[in-house]
Amino acid sequence: MKFLIYRYNPETGTKPHMQAYDVTLQHGDHMLLDALMRLREQDDSLAFRKSCREGVCGSDAMNINGRNWLACITPLASLKEPVTLRPLPSFPVIRDLVVDMTRFFRHYHAIRPYVIDDEPPPERERLQTPAERSELDGLYECILCACCTGFCPSYWWNPDRYLGPAALLQAMRFIADSRDRATAERLEFLDDAYRLFRCRSIMNCTEVCPKHLNPNRAIDRIRMRMLKHEI
Amino acid sequence: MTAVLTGLRAWTVQRVSAVYVLFFFLTTLVWLAVHRPVSYAQWHAWVTSGGVRPAMMLFFAALLVHAWVGLRDVLLDYVKPLLIRAAALGALALGLAGLGGWAAQILISA
Amino acid sequence: MTTRSGAPYFLDLFQIRFPVGAVCSIAHRISGVILAVSVPLLIFALHRSLAGPEGYATVVTTLATVAGKAALVLLAWALGHHALAGVRHILKDMDVGASLGSARRTAWLALAGGGIIALVAAVLVL
Repeated sequence: MKFLIYRYNPETGTKPHMQAYDVTLQHGDHMLLDALMRLREQDDSLAFRKSCREGVCGSDAMNINGRNWLACITPLASLKEPVTLRPLPSFPVIRDLVVDMTRFFRHYHAIRPYVIDDEPPPERERLQTPAERSELDGLYECILCACCTGFCPSYWWNPDRYLGPAALLQAMRFIADSRDRATAERLEFLDDAYRLFRCRSIMNCTEVCPKHLNPNRAIDRIRMRMLKHEI
Repeated sequence: MTAVLTGLRAWTVQRVSAVYVLFFFLTTLVWLAVHRPVSYAQWHAWVTSGGVRPAMMLFFAALLVHAWVGLRDVLLDYVKPLLIRAAALGALALGLAGLGGWAAQILISA
Repeated sequence: MTTRSGAPYFLDLFQIRFPVGAVCSIAHRISGVILAVSVPLLIFALHRSLAGPEGYATVVTTLATVAGKAALVLLAWALGHHALAGVRHILKDMDVGASLGSARRTAWLALAGGGIIALVAAVLVL
């Protein structure tokens, strides 16, 4: 199977370039990650992140034939050759397909991804009805792989000030949580010209979420909450 | 300049003005189609009639405010250097305000 | 392309495969800019059309020229797509067409609708 892969080594100082590979797949190689591991038998200088190999850790997010997805759950049979692999768009490249996730996580931390309740804690649990818990469905499952944020044109143009779909989806996850008491502060934090409102509803995020989440809808829900809060 | 219209305010203004602009435009289009061919006298009489003149002035106000939010988004996305962006936003605001004044003057003196 | 720290990043738009929603969105922006640029012309035309019968006639004859007709067709596309994509946005604000499947469908509808409106305008002016 033929591949074209983005190569960059900061130690050699050469510019990034695409390198061609031809891999003989073995019985049992079904997913793109399998082929990449096969490739490393040929060339162990190729760098990429991987871990769970089952689509739950988010490590191997990359741009595959022009779209972001996880390598471990991309069937090889679905890919046109030469399979073109590039790092997540707009993310600083550390080496080959490994990108710097620092800014991505800074935006995640900025939305305070934890339940905030400064009241004295209850005797036992902070209770939540099944209906209240279902409000978190479609939000809690995010694995922070960055496929969405790396495919968002608004994030490409303003990666420092626009938080991006992943952080905003997580912001909604905590706004929607009945146990959280900081909704007003969360909404106020997001109400400026950049943090949330760079979103143009292009919906590239939803197209490339490997967990089939809808970050754009989460952002729309935050906007509606803000509107209700203002009125 | 970006703080004048916070995110939510700008977004709301963009939506509300859009609805009115669309409504007025479609109304005008329908009127033109129904009364075609429209003579100068008919056109002038309709524009200067009691309800239409203020409605059209409101149309231009809404249109220019809608254009402001939209074009500001374009500038915020693509123009990064702070000074150039501030100058561009200022020029945009002045230009749109100027167009508003012009449209108002045309409709008042018609 | 490198960041300030010197690290490169991938952002070759020609190597990225854009979904239909992205095409609809960039067309929404382009059509918006086209309409915004035409507003001064629109106001000028309004001015001439209300100035007197000669001014009105000038507006009509200018629109009837080849350039005028071409401009009308372009503006028809711009307005048609911008309005349809705008309605799509407002409906999505109200959670209509928010899922991926329906969002793709409405994006195709907006793009097709704009094209049809331009076609109808072309037929009407020619």
